[in-house]
Amino acid sequence: MTAAAAPSLPSILGPIRPRPRGRESRLLALVAITIVVGSVSLELARRVTDPGQATGLSPANPLHLATYLGLIGTAHLVLILSGRRVDQVLLPATAMLGGISLLLMERLPQQLVSQTVGPWQLGLGDIQLGWLILSFGLAIAIAVTVRSDRWLRLYKYTWAAAGVALLVATYVFGDDINGQRLSLSIGPISGQPAELLKVILVVFLAGYLSEYRPLLVDESTRIGPISLPPLPFLTPMVAMWAIALGLVVVQRDLGAALLFFSVFLGLLYAATGRVGYVVVGVLLFLAGSWVLYHLVGTVQTRVDIWLDPFKSASGDGYQIVQSLYAFARGGLLGTGLGAGLPTIGGNLPIPAVHTDFPLAALGEELGLVGVTAILGLFLVVVERGLRIAASAADEFRSLLAAGLALVIGTQALIIAAGNLKLIPLTGITLPFISYGGSSLLVNGIIVGLLLALSDRGIEPPPPPRPRGRIARLTGRRTSAATPASGRAPIPDAAPVPLAAPRFDDVDRA
Amino acid sequence: MTGDARPASHAPRRPAGAARPTRLRPLGQTIGHVGLALTVAFAGIALGAGYWQVLRSPDLSRAPDNPAVIAAARNVVRGTIVDRDGRVLASNKRSSATGEPYRVYADRAFSTVLGYASIDFGTAGLERSWAPELTGISNGDPIGDVLRKFRSDPYDPQKLTLGISSVLQRAAVAGLGNDRGAVVMLDPSTGEILALASTPTYDDGAIANPATSRDAFAAVRADPATPLLTRATQGLYVPGSVFKIVTAIAGLGSGRVTGSTTFPEQPQAERDGLLVGGFRVHEHPGVPSRSLDLAGATEWSSNIWYALAGLRTGGDNLASFAARMGFGRTLDFDLPTAASQVTNGGGSAPGGFADQTELANASYGQAQTQVTPLQMALVAATIANGGTLMKPHIVIATTGRDGTRTIAPTQLGVIIGATEAAAIAAAMQRAVESQIGSQFTTGAKVPGIPTAGKSGTAELGGSGAPHSWFIGFAPVGHPRIAIAVIVERGGRGGARAAPLAGDLMTLFFKTFGS
Repeated sequence: MTAAAAPSLPSILGPIRPRPRGRESRLLALVAITIVVGSVSLELARRVTDPGQATGLSPANPLHLATYLGLIGTAHLVLILSGRRVDQVLLPATAMLGGISLLLMERLPQQLVSQTVGPWQLGLGDIQLGWLILSFGLAIAIAVTVRSDRWLRLYKYTWAAAGVALLVATYVFGDDINGQRLSLSIGPISGQPAELLKVILVVFLAGYLSEYRPLLVDESTRIGPISLPPLPFLTPMVAMWAIALGLVVVQRDLGAALLFFSVFLGLLYAATGRVGYVVVGVLLFLAGSWVLYHLVGTVQTRVDIWLDPFKSASGDGYQIVQSLYAFARGGLLGTGLGAGLPTIGGNLPIPAVHTDFPLAALGEELGLVGVTAILGLFLVVVERGLRIAASAADEFRSLLAAGLALVIGTQALIIAAGNLKLIPLTGITLPFISYGGSSLLVNGIIVGLLLALSDRGIEPPPPPRPRGRIARLTGRRTSAATPASGRAPIPDAAPVPLAAPRFDDVDRA
Repeated sequence: MTGDARPASHAPRRPAGAARPTRLRPLGQTIGHVGLALTVAFAGIALGAGYWQVLRSPDLSRAPDNPAVIAAARNVVRGTIVDRDGRVLASNKRSSATGEPYRVYADRAFSTVLGYASIDFGTAGLERSWAPELTGISNGDPIGDVLRKFRSDPYDPQKLTLGISSVLQRAAVAGLGNDRGAVVMLDPSTGEILALASTPTYDDGAIANPATSRDAFAAVRADPATPLLTRATQGLYVPGSVFKIVTAIAGLGSGRVTGSTTFPEQPQAERDGLLVGGFRVHEHPGVPSRSLDLAGATEWSSNIWYALAGLRTGGDNLASFAARMGFGRTLDFDLPTAASQVTNGGGSAPGGFADQTELANASYGQAQTQVTPLQMALVAATIANGGTLMKPHIVIATTGRDGTRTIAPTQLGVIIGATEAAAIAAAMQRAVESQIGSQFTTGAKVPGIPTAGKSGTAELGGSGAPHSWFIGFAPVGHPRIAIAVIVERGGRGGARAAPLAGDLMTLFFKTFGS
């Protein structure tokens, strides 16, 4: 189908012309084949090595497989029909990760999670498939419909306030689970607001940093040999640090704290290019950790488990020791899908395998080769995101895309490192793979935004405005700022992203 | 995909951007750096996964609490265990009630070696340490383990062949009788364990049998004699005079002492006690007041000579030669071992001794020195094998469907030279065979075969009989058997341990030919 041959479809979204996405088609075909092979392998494992069903594998559900393949096919088709020139690698990479998730959740005992909806009794695989549908649906909806970033750009403080409100609401009205208040229920729906907070945080930081970027590299404050930017502009840095510590102290949510702070430091570096900020941030983090280690029992327990889990292999260290055993059983090539995770009396070796330890399960059944491939898929997603960031039309979009990519990358790193005992374990999800609605929906939003931002046809960014405060503070830059009115007209002939590479070029690179 | 360095196109597009004296780096560049950092981090995670999945995979996969090992134990009929002559020590039966297989053992004399495998109470002994082979999830071949998943039946239970001789093991347990104690016999040239007796034994078959396991296990746990403690490898005892052989090894090994070393102050000290740092080392009565050399001092078991030899050798040498034979750490062995020690350590004197007094007392085995019977058997084996210590091992072969894999002898290290070892061996032979020596080692001599050894009488302080010790080997010259015997509260070394050792070595030559 060529663009010229396709009829224009009248639509509320304006006239759209389908545009072929060859690279995405080919990659998705590969993804579909891989998932089908995985399903067949899983079903064979169940029939051949486990005829007595001692390991509790449930029969393959071809309907689930077909639904998922239909889902990514539809997503692909919608992108083609929409005619937007968005990135062609993100969807296949995340579809692969989602497919791995579906295979894993189909393979785990279905009663791990169960819910009754109307006449249906839903198990782990059913529910995860539902969330995957919603997640990809959301991603594609955002990718197709978002044609402007104005709603994000202009209201950064509103977003920040909403984020803080969400945090407070979780603390006040949240459901207490294991001494943590991480989820909020509204009627029958419950979710973990910290997940959404990640996106809000990135939106705020992208807005703030793109606005005050020049000031943050300024060195107008001097304390002895150290040069610092104007002190008021260090406020967000300190605030971020305080929020991260607060998350730990109040909500015992070490994972979210670590994630937020890492993303913040990554974005701060991207915006300023100053390694000093990262060093100071890491030092602040270490100092905070040291204090928390001595003050907060949870932190101390986690660190002690991390230092020697085998000392309490049947107590506190049980899950991490079992995770390491799972990785070890997998070895280089793995046991094969469905042939790992030996059960004792019907119990899984790792109780939280579907939420906190999916990588351990995959490490066992797919081996080091599989783990490396999954890490590689995450790296592909991250690098696509950063590529979109590097070629975005202005600084806000750059930082927004970079931040979204950082969220996915850092989160995968933190939980993978925790599963492998490289850092203390924190309970966060492995993006796209872990069971969990909030996590999948927010990952869908992130992918959707990245796709939308990758379209060079998106509404051009507003021209930079001179800001009175900046001018005052920096003095010498006054002359450089565009005078008065604050809105320089955009030259008609030249849309702003003059030198931005075309995405089609990038794809072929 | 990394290092997206296209700075020019992503520079801030401010109308007057170029004119600014700012040090702002282009976003494209810094984002490239972030990408690079993330790539490095992901590579680090992959390396971490490689560490656990490749380097640590073999040992973690056989950990007794690994669910794969536990699951295999429930699903698989374990391999049999046979002694060095092929006599079956552990086999399987099926429960008449449930049809599930369970373990049966030939004789409780082997209980402290084999341990048990119980559905309800887990595993102990060789059943625990060799569970991966017995249940067939590993056949000891790394490549085979990788390819295992391609087999239709992934389990390949292995038959274990032990170096242990049923004849010697039963005789050792019978010889210890109602006393608590241990016997270790090994081939000094290969490290193969021929007997590893610990008493009391327990009824491991009753623990393995599901019908009786609950009561049997509770009874064993409640027994004040702690039969589940394998005394031969985990019992820590004051060694007394058998430790003098370690002092001799350190002295001759370091060159500070030779076979002909005499101490002028020794005869005088025999009468009055040797004053070391305000503490008087006393001799047991009967040692003559004349200058003794190594052989004489060993024959007479002179505390004074060995205290002086230890002081001349120095704490650092004593500690390091002991460490080379395995002191100070648990041994790499088929069963869990306790770490033997020369001193508590942490002292300011060389070698971790508190002071010269402790060193002098340790030199004849009476300070903070604590040893396992296995460790003392290794000391005897070191002298027997001309100064070279072989790694002790119980399992000598595994047999699966791909045939038999033999576990080859491995050398743990050359502790001292053959000449020094021969000098100590000659002294130990005097201690068993001379008229004077044999008074201390009654009954240790194997009739018709040159026998070497050293008795020990470990004073425990307070009332009660001392521990009775003996270590030795035979025949001198080309030894085939080394032995360590301890009988708790058995009296002098010559009273219980030496005659038992003599009987067992005699039985060895009767069984395996002289």
